[in-house]
Amino acid sequence: MTKEKKITFEQALAKLDEIVTQVEQGKVSLEQSIEKYAEGMELIKQCRSILAKAEKKIQVLSKGEGESLTPAGELEEPAEAEDED
Amino acid sequence: MLLDMADKKLPFFDVSKARGPRSGPDVGKSKPVKTSGKSPSQPMSVSLLITRIKGALSDAFPKRISVVGELSNFKLHTSGHMYFRLKDANAAIDAAMFRSSASKLKFRPTDGMEVVVTGRVDVYDARGQLQLYAESMTPKGEGALELAFRQLKEKLEKEGLFDPEKKKPIPAIPRALGLVTSPTGAAVRDIRRTLARRWPGAEVYLVPTLVQGEGAAESVAQGVRLLDANAGKFGIDTIIVSRGGGSMEDLWAFNEEVVARAIFAASVPVISGVGHEVDVTISDLVADVRAATPTAAAELAVPDKNEIARHIEHLSGRLRSRVLHEYRAASAGLDAIGRSVVFRDPMSRLRSFIQRIDELGHRLRASVGESLSLRRKLLEPIAHRLAALHPARLHERAKGQIEKLKSRLRWALGARSKRAGDKLSQIQRRLEARHPRIALNLAKQRVDGMARQLEALSYRSVLKRGFNVTRGPDGQIIRSVKDAKIGELVETQLFDGEFTSQVKQVGKTKRQSPKKAAKKTKKTDDNPTLFD
Repeated sequence: MTKEKKITFEQALAKLDEIVTQVEQGKVSLEQSIEKYAEGMELIKQCRSILAKAEKKIQVLSKGEGESLTPAGELEEPAEAEDED
Repeated sequence: MLLDMADKKLPFFDVSKARGPRSGPDVGKSKPVKTSGKSPSQPMSVSLLITRIKGALSDAFPKRISVVGELSNFKLHTSGHMYFRLKDANAAIDAAMFRSSASKLKFRPTDGMEVVVTGRVDVYDARGQLQLYAESMTPKGEGALELAFRQLKEKLEKEGLFDPEKKKPIPAIPRALGLVTSPTGAAVRDIRRTLARRWPGAEVYLVPTLVQGEGAAESVAQGVRLLDANAGKFGIDTIIVSRGGGSMEDLWAFNEEVVARAIFAASVPVISGVGHEVDVTISDLVADVRAATPTAAAELAVPDKNEIARHIEHLSGRLRSRVLHEYRAASAGLDAIGRSVVFRDPMSRLRSFIQRIDELGHRLRASVGESLSLRRKLLEPIAHRLAALHPARLHERAKGQIEKLKSRLRWALGARSKRAGDKLSQIQRRLEARHPRIALNLAKQRVDGMARQLEALSYRSVLKRGFNVTRGPDGQIIRSVKDAKIGELVETQLFDGEFTSQVKQVGKTKRQSPKKAAKKTKKTDDNPTLFD
């Protein structure tokens, strides 16, 4: 299911929801429901792995040419607030 | 301080001349002109007069004074300078505020507003007019910032920047977050913690901005604009504008119109989380979602992973149990089928089939025998017709036809010869007609004709002489009175024509005038006729 890697978490979740609803409504044949089950389980695995992913760093952007923004590295662990309380 | 200031004015005018000998605290009450060394009768220039007035004013008032009054005739010149009049119930003074000071005003002064103006009093040389030169202005009763906030809020509200229907929904799970805040502030720290707790997989792009002081508002506005413009590039579908708590002055950048406009213009939904719960900024009002704090902003931006995980578990359980249920139902159905008669005694169906086949076989044989004789009968005439079509018969028929054709041919040939013979005899007849004997006969006939004609001519001559011929209705010549019948119409021929008359009377041999007889009775017995 490599092509499914491209879908967002939200899409994966929505798809999963749809699969469960389809299977529950009995609108699919037994064979299809087993296919759907496999697909659903794969989506669940994906969603879980996204949830379990390592914490992402905050990317700091800086102004490039014109109106463009370019990544300028990761945000450092903040020290205590400097300009605010 | 007053004295210091006066001293500094020395290059402009002679203090001793302006106010006489120094006399300490009561200097403002001195009468400079009278105590002047010069004679009062000697006139001074206007400039000198104004200069002296200025000096006196400067002595009389501290460098900065605060005056409270009501604004009227307020005008903001295109140059950026403000001109207005400050008045109370009994008095008024013109005032000016130059651009350098006016541009720092947060609120918009309007006529009728009670304000406290701080500045200096001076004379406008060109008109000799007393003026208040304002350096700052604050509304009376409420703070300048509060007023500015209220004014901008009213303005933007009127323009529809806070309209609920203009608010865009934020995605339940963002692909990437854009963050506009200070990289070192409390806000970014709170947001990072919250994201780590709720949704560690979140992509976050930070545009570091000033969040307070000079240029902060423009910096925040630019941050929003840049993130919105680059949203597609980074997949940003939610923007957070944030700052930690602080005084109203600290948070002021988020109350500036430029920030409000940038947030409103953004096509990506914006969450505003500025200050503490109690702080409401213009940015909060314009944003698509208002969060009480930076933490709350992060909470609103991303879902809680535990909640999502529970949801996934729930879906997973539902899917599994449902499919299992279906499987069980299907296999139970299969068992039931396995137990059915068909599978327990498979031959039972078969037996009935065998029986049925036998039965059908009997019926088939019987019906075949019957229909065979029937068919035979039907076949006979066809067989006859077929026999007629036998090659030998066909040959015979053809022969007959040939004979027929032959006789027709013969007949046709005979006819032609007969025609030729006819023609020949015709010619022969024509030739015979020309035979001298024939010509002789013809001549004889012609002579006879002429003789008859001559005869006729002789009878006509008789008519000319007065005789006539009378004919009955049958065309027969009436020769005797016996031929005439009373009432009959008779026709009398004369040499030059004829007339018709009716027989009235028939008598014998009595002489009558011929005229009368002709009229009354055509017939007279003594009518001479040629043919008697």
